[in-house]
Amino acid sequence: MAHIEIDAPGTTQLLLGNEAIARGALEAGIGFATAYPGTPSSEIMGTLAPIAKKMGIYAEWSINEMVAFEAASAASLSNIRALSSMKANGVNVIADFLVNLQMTGIRKGLVLVVCDDPGGMTSSNEQDTRPIAKWLNIPMLEPSTAQECKDMTKRAFELSEELGMVCMVRSVTYLSHTRGNVRFGRLPENKKVAHFDDFYNIDDPRQSRYTCGMQFHPYKQSEELLKRFAKAPEKCENSPFNSYRGPEIPELLIISSGICWTYAIEAVSILGLQDRVGILKLGTTWPLPEGLVARYLNKSDKVLCIEEIEPFVERSVMELAASLPPDQPRPTFYGKRSGHVRAWGEQNLNLAIQSIASVMDIPYTSRQSQDLEYRRAAQAVAQTLPARPLTFCPGCPHRASFWAIKIALQLDGRNGFVTGDIGCTAMGMISPGSFQVRTYYAMGGGVGVAGGFGHLGQFGFQQPVIAVCGDSTFFHASIPGLINGVWNQSNFTLAILDNSATAMTGFQPHPGTGITATGDPGKKVSIEALCRSLGIHVEICDPFDLNTTIATLLTMMRDEGPAQVVILRRECELVRERKEKRNPFRVYVNPERCIGESCGCNRLCTRVFSCPGLVWDRDAGKAVIDEAVCVGCGLCADVCPRGAIVKEAL
Amino acid sequence: MHGKASKELQKEVIDKGLCTLCGGCTGTCPYLVVYDGRIVRLHRCDMSEGQCYHYCPRTYMDMDAISRHIFGAPYGEGEIGSVREVFLARSTDQVIHQKAQDGGIVTTLLSVALAEGMIDGAVETKLDEEKNPHGFIARNREELLECAGVSYEPSPVIQAINRLPNETTEKLGFVGLPCHVACLSKMKLSPPTNRANIEHLEPVIGLFCGWTLSHSFHRFLQEHFDLAKAIKFDIPHHPEHSFDVYTPSGKESVDLDEISPYINKACGYCFDMTAEFADISVGSGRAMFKGWNTVILRTKVGAEILDIAKGRNAIEIQPIPDESLANLKRASLDKKKRALKNIISMTGGVDDLLYLGISQHLKEMLLE
Repeated sequence: MAHIEIDAPGTTQLLLGNEAIARGALEAGIGFATAYPGTPSSEIMGTLAPIAKKMGIYAEWSINEMVAFEAASAASLSNIRALSSMKANGVNVIADFLVNLQMTGIRKGLVLVVCDDPGGMTSSNEQDTRPIAKWLNIPMLEPSTAQECKDMTKRAFELSEELGMVCMVRSVTYLSHTRGNVRFGRLPENKKVAHFDDFYNIDDPRQSRYTCGMQFHPYKQSEELLKRFAKAPEKCENSPFNSYRGPEIPELLIISSGICWTYAIEAVSILGLQDRVGILKLGTTWPLPEGLVARYLNKSDKVLCIEEIEPFVERSVMELAASLPPDQPRPTFYGKRSGHVRAWGEQNLNLAIQSIASVMDIPYTSRQSQDLEYRRAAQAVAQTLPARPLTFCPGCPHRASFWAIKIALQLDGRNGFVTGDIGCTAMGMISPGSFQVRTYYAMGGGVGVAGGFGHLGQFGFQQPVIAVCGDSTFFHASIPGLINGVWNQSNFTLAILDNSATAMTGFQPHPGTGITATGDPGKKVSIEALCRSLGIHVEICDPFDLNTTIATLLTMMRDEGPAQVVILRRECELVRERKEKRNPFRVYVNPERCIGESCGCNRLCTRVFSCPGLVWDRDAGKAVIDEAVCVGCGLCADVCPRGAIVKEAL
Repeated sequence: MHGKASKELQKEVIDKGLCTLCGGCTGTCPYLVVYDGRIVRLHRCDMSEGQCYHYCPRTYMDMDAISRHIFGAPYGEGEIGSVREVFLARSTDQVIHQKAQDGGIVTTLLSVALAEGMIDGAVETKLDEEKNPHGFIARNREELLECAGVSYEPSPVIQAINRLPNETTEKLGFVGLPCHVACLSKMKLSPPTNRANIEHLEPVIGLFCGWTLSHSFHRFLQEHFDLAKAIKFDIPHHPEHSFDVYTPSGKESVDLDEISPYINKACGYCFDMTAEFADISVGSGRAMFKGWNTVILRTKVGAEILDIAKGRNAIEIQPIPDESLANLKRASLDKKKRALKNIISMTGGVDDLLYLGISQHLKEMLLE
């Protein structure tokens, strides 16, 4: 991990985009940082938390984005610069608070860093958060390089204070997770004093500035907000993050932002169009630097917007064009709306080349398609890459949990099903979880949806419903759904797959672990005590005890009563392995007992159970243990129908 | 070959309500299990040829081929299958009599075979504490006695055979209903792979069966009786009209009409009342010979055991009166005709008899 805290102004370090954002926050002199883990944003807090104490910062992994952002606001209201970071989905979670915080404004710089995930590689969707900035009148900066990740984060704090409102920085997966050179700036003197000034003053009794809905007339605050925001365009107008590269009068004007700007530059160079195509880079994507954009719109007949996810800049520029003086000629707009830029997924260099070539009407054949030898070489390389299908890790307790859930549902026989949730447990919707998860939407969505299914009995609904969530997801957003189900007597079973880690995003601690972001002891929150306090039936099973788990699930499903909880508890194998540093069992296949593909097994272990630690030896027609991958959990020995897999305690 | 496995078993047998819950498809693989009175498919098996399908007594039964394998002759047209002798018999063992349903012949024959070292044990049905029937391997006289008596609920007894270790050399007798015996006869015709040697299973003793009661009957029993105290169940013959549960304190009865809704629908498609592919088939002596068994001796293996039992005075025998034999044959024929009628009404035509592989001539004869 990079040392982002070194006080070495002028030196250049190789940093991940997310590390650069953390460095920017340090250079801005933050005193407070909060986050909820979520790829691709997690490394920001992951980098800040270990150095927080040394740097005099309070750093917190919160149980969800909402409380994270609310806490950061408190620091801002008390004169401390604060950063809150999250993935795109997290902005939805904080939306209500964000809307209302905009009504009052803030005091000291408050920056919301959001890392979008174009293509949704590690997300449930590929939501673009930029329209939220526009919707709520929040200034937004969009870095294109690691250097800008740092510089814009720092600048965002200043902007936040200049405008008296929260400011957003938007990164994307490719930028957050790519290393680039970052020239360090100065770290500020560390003098911070927190005080909330707007406390009740007996001689000046009045409503606090930090209560939204002034005198219960919110429109008054809207007016104030618009006044504050009105100062934003001029700040953007002269921003050094906006720039133009290209001929004075370009045949085609490309407007781009974020990581796409780097694709556009390279694409123009590969196509040799430097003299014909100009690129306007926007770092301040909301509000637009309207004067700057209008000037360039006047220079070209054709405008192409290249950006990721929503045609956000494209639409904003078209809105601007609509308000241009009537005598100014209107260019033709190309982009996602016209079909010249792919409207979904990540952009890349090839796509940028195709977009530009199609607008410029020039033929372009990639080297891949014209150079046979190159293509052969590329294919040869591709073939050496091992396929890496999404799966549960070897030894993962969730594989056992879903195995038990699947068997319990089949035995129950009433077409019962699982409502799933976010995190590692989401793998339950694909093959490693035997496709058991049948609905999957949002953090806490599993139990909420289950609560609805559990009330459909009056319409003839007789299917048992099992809501599944991980332990971190339980704390994040599942508790209200559970309480609602208990209160309203909904008929479902909540299975909390407690692996005692926020494993999907890299083992961040949560209340169940009792350790805080900075490694300090916190108060450990007991999931079972919390659930039992609702007066409901709570069972705890080790999912590796398959028979007990199956029996417990069957009993709970048959129970017609209100919501119940089963905690399927076993520590994440990766955490266990790090602590114990050895395997619990030596596991091997006795080839004499293994009947492989024959009737009576049909490769249950490698075809259905599918732990990556088991491989199918096609030549021998037997299963074998991949000792490099197997962690010796021994579960496969319990699953093998022939007793061919042997586990010996170590 | 048939090219079918568990998916087709589900479609062609289970979903059509033909499954008798014999356990022929379970116990040998991880994909199919018996649970709560149902065959449950736990995982997707993609075998193109499954022994589950192959040995199911409700997938195609080539009656001639099976009959040739067991009796050396094609399937006959008699009402009660291939017969060497029919007679009445009962045990001379008072201990067995106390526990047995009728004449105690099944327990006595197995007991003799065990004592003579002809078998090491027997695959039987045993009731658990809750009086749920399950397959059990009795390896001594006490265990044989524990299995005496009738359950009336379907027992997946073949599962116990499927679970035998491949390498076992034990010789085991077998006791089962006609559907169990049918399943076993298919296994004997083409022995299974990756399982215990099926040739070690003899003698096969079949029990006469009109029908079994479905699993939902078990809940009925639980609601009406203290099953933990039940010693024996009985449906006495006409003119009685009751289902009796014997406990240490006496007999409790419910009207037979209350029971009839629980009769297994699958039994309506069964062609076999007397377990025609067994070595010896055993039923009750009916009302006229209470405390006796009707015995049909079918094979040489059966004859050997009967001779030894007679030689040891373990059983006593009397001829079956013509009228009783005629009644037995009529009842068996009625079952065949009823099955054929039900099958045809399911398939919608005489050309498709589901699993039943009988000759055109026999079919025409039964349809007359």
